[in-house]
Amino acid sequence: MEKTEEGKVLRRDNETTDMALFVRTSDEQFSGWDRQRIVDALIKETEVDVVTAQEISREVEELIASSTISMVTSPLIRELVDAKLIERGLEQERKRHTRLGMPLYDVDQLILHPNKENANVPHGPEATNLTLAERIKKEYALLSVFSEEVADAHMRGDIHLHDLGFIDRPYCSGQSLEYIKRFGLSLPNSIAMAKPAKHAEVLLAHMVKFAAALQSHFAGAIGWDAVNLFFAPHLVGMRDEEIKQLAQMMIFEFSQQAVARGGQAIFTDLNLYWEIPRHFEDVPAIGPMGEYTGKTYSQYEHEAQRFAWFLFEVFKEGDGSGRPFFFPKPLVHITEKFFRTRGHLEFLHHICDVASEKGNTYFVFDRGETAKVSECCRLSFKLDASDLEDAKQPWKMRYCALQNVTLNLPRIGYLSGGDDRSLFERVEEFMDMAVRAHLEKKTFIEKLLSYGENGPLALLAMERDGSSYLRMHRASYLIGMVGLNELVQIHTGKQMRESKGAFKFGLKVIAHMKLLADQLSERHGMHFVLEQTPAESTAYRFAKLDLQYHWQKAHHVVKGDISQGEVYYTNSTYLNNGAVMNPIERVRQEGLFHPLVEAGALTHIWLGEAKPSKESLANFVMKTFNHTQNDQIAFSPEFTTCNRCHRTSRGLAEICSYCGSRDVDGITRITGYFTRISSWNKGKIGELHDRYRNQGFLRVEGRDERYEGEMVPLISA
Amino acid sequence: MGLQIKGFWETSLLDWPGKLAAVLFLPGCNFRCPYCHNHPLVINPERFETIPLEYILRRLKGLKGWIDGVCVTGGEPTVNPNLPLLLEGIKGEGWAIKLDTNGTFPGRIKELTERGLVDCVAMDIKGPLDSGSYSRCAGVSVDISAIRKSISVLASEGIDYTFRMTAVPTLLTEEQVYEAALQLVGMGRLLLQDFNPSDPLSPELREVKPFGEMRLQRMQGRVDAILGQRGDSYHEFPMLGRGHPLQRIRSSIGRSP
Repeated sequence: MEKTEEGKVLRRDNETTDMALFVRTSDEQFSGWDRQRIVDALIKETEVDVVTAQEISREVEELIASSTISMVTSPLIRELVDAKLIERGLEQERKRHTRLGMPLYDVDQLILHPNKENANVPHGPEATNLTLAERIKKEYALLSVFSEEVADAHMRGDIHLHDLGFIDRPYCSGQSLEYIKRFGLSLPNSIAMAKPAKHAEVLLAHMVKFAAALQSHFAGAIGWDAVNLFFAPHLVGMRDEEIKQLAQMMIFEFSQQAVARGGQAIFTDLNLYWEIPRHFEDVPAIGPMGEYTGKTYSQYEHEAQRFAWFLFEVFKEGDGSGRPFFFPKPLVHITEKFFRTRGHLEFLHHICDVASEKGNTYFVFDRGETAKVSECCRLSFKLDASDLEDAKQPWKMRYCALQNVTLNLPRIGYLSGGDDRSLFERVEEFMDMAVRAHLEKKTFIEKLLSYGENGPLALLAMERDGSSYLRMHRASYLIGMVGLNELVQIHTGKQMRESKGAFKFGLKVIAHMKLLADQLSERHGMHFVLEQTPAESTAYRFAKLDLQYHWQKAHHVVKGDISQGEVYYTNSTYLNNGAVMNPIERVRQEGLFHPLVEAGALTHIWLGEAKPSKESLANFVMKTFNHTQNDQIAFSPEFTTCNRCHRTSRGLAEICSYCGSRDVDGITRITGYFTRISSWNKGKIGELHDRYRNQGFLRVEGRDERYEGEMVPLISA
Repeated sequence: MGLQIKGFWETSLLDWPGKLAAVLFLPGCNFRCPYCHNHPLVINPERFETIPLEYILRRLKGLKGWIDGVCVTGGEPTVNPNLPLLLEGIKGEGWAIKLDTNGTFPGRIKELTERGLVDCVAMDIKGPLDSGSYSRCAGVSVDISAIRKSISVLASEGIDYTFRMTAVPTLLTEEQVYEAALQLVGMGRLLLQDFNPSDPLSPELREVKPFGEMRLQRMQGRVDAILGQRGDSYHEFPMLGRGHPLQRIRSSIGRSP
């Protein structure tokens, strides 16, 4: 009966429209109309019963038949079917039946205009591909990987799930050159296998290729531990000219890799040491062809130092037009042993010279006996006892953070209405939600890894040393925060910079979060750590969402210029970017948070156009090491680069000081890396306007408002 | 004491090379340099809040161990006869002092150095030491003998000092910069700094293009050569003596790979 009825309908269709209906399918074919395909899809994808599927298919068919169209697309049919599922209240089924994709208009815009969510993505076909893929994977993640509660918390902006577009990869990773020195370059899916490198140049080539392979398996940074040390055995007997050449090759290779994934340079961190780190002193060195040299690393101090020295000479020169290199980022570890190592003062002056001239240097302070490997924007891992055991076989030192989830702290402020108890309860609620998100991502990644070397994450599953490259049991799960300063402002009426009480309250909140993270780690047998989220776009997104949902309170505390839409929250645990405070107090006060933020923290010192002497910077660095708990500092100068004459000058200017062209671009540090200001999102532009660049001021009489009184900048020196 | 402090910058990385220094800005000046960037402090200082010395000393106390000294600048600090009192107050707390001056009061500079109230002096050289050039650059008529006297006071007092010159293209030619350098031979080091057109005292200078970083660096090189100073733009690699291959390749620095 059904069949005849169906036949009748079809006949009637043919009679009424007097033509065959064609469907444009997703696999680039025309097919004739076949109602059964709707039924099959519904049953396969949503598990509705046959009768309902048949009914829906018939209704959709009638709808199309009663219109005058002669050509339909499969996405349109799917949407019509979805409408029928909604009519029946079949919400879950509709969700399962979702089609992921983008409107035509959006794709058009995307191809034509640059992406501003991540300033490290240029504009071009590869970048567009990346963004398109990210959009679909993001929707997939929110619909399918995460529970509705987690997805909704993200959509609302209570929390931010970072890199949703990279849902099928872990977040960031740190590794050791020893892995490729020992095993060569032998990647799953690769056509050729390379034996361990004999020459330094080949080792560099392996490193670059491996980094590119890793970039396509991680969302964020690819860090390398003690690069200058592990290169050292390959440098024996090389002349200075050759080592300098190698340093140039390394820096240019990593800075010009903007041809890899999504046209993005690989976010590369080079961890460097002047001394031989204690945990590597007695480790047998691996040399050319993956063979032990018979010496320990402590015997390669001279080569390691020469390489580090020349890397910084290259950083100082800048690229072919004198601009600072954006990548790789050099992180120099300053330890107690550093100060006992011969030549440290000259080296410190050398890297301070680069910091003043070009800004590249990151000063990482490893006080006491903790050793650290720094990863992405400011993520670092403290090496614990079992790591130090691994250090005897350094190729085992592979770390990763699986995901980063950031809490919108000001939101907690709006919701808790000034009540302490309610505030801390909500901190706990938000933390629980972040942990839930981590558990869900972990389950998903474990599923992908379970397919092993034939699966979607083959590279991470490869077992060259008896365990898989990605060591899941050692993974960290990051919990970040944005806008502590604004939370405190909402709750106490004062920004952290403005009163001791406010500052203390800020510390209390972060200490509470740290405690919760430790408890949750214990409960779940996982490693949850606090991180200073770089929040390149999250600080902007949260501020925008709060202006939407909590305008009454939010428009008093959001930073930036609301009328221009250049709004932001202060990053992580930072003090107000615009506060006129001396850098000593900034490193000291911000440093008080650093021991609580285990996954790494950083204080920025914005230099503006000032170019301090290397001796003054070294002086500041040493005092920061000795007198504070601060984990890491970086000095950020500003530059103007001309798109016409390609010369670069100091300071942000509207006109090129060499050729007078207005076609110029500013360059400075956005969060954890340097980039062109034209690629920044509006929130970070707002922050840039506000940044206090360590200057003296005159205050107009009778106006004592801390941040608003008329101030006349003074210039000295 | 009749001396008002109008600006207090707690930590400068710039004003005392090698050191971290707090900077005090004093009002008033006997010069009217057209390129002056702190002219609000010179022309109408009464518009601005005065910062009590006690407050400053209290703040500085909290920076012990960090700050290496205090830089006193302006304006022109030496126009105020009460300057020694202020410096005594700062010295009394154990701080080293650097003084910025235009050198028009050699007697006062001599007194300050003799009494040990300053540890370092940075003196502006406005241009070649003739009253025509000097008055043009300083915007007022200048007694050049006083300037010369200050130069010799500094050179003979055995304290740390430097000369500085702001190079403004329309006020000084490159040749005039070298002329000034020649007049300082045997007297010490002359540091050039570029002029900042963002808000000069004379609005017409806003349109003037500074020499620019690259040209200034070259000029500094020549000035150093004239004064017999070795530039410090290259570093010695520790552990290596002179004549090492490293020294040789320094000459090739700057080329792309």
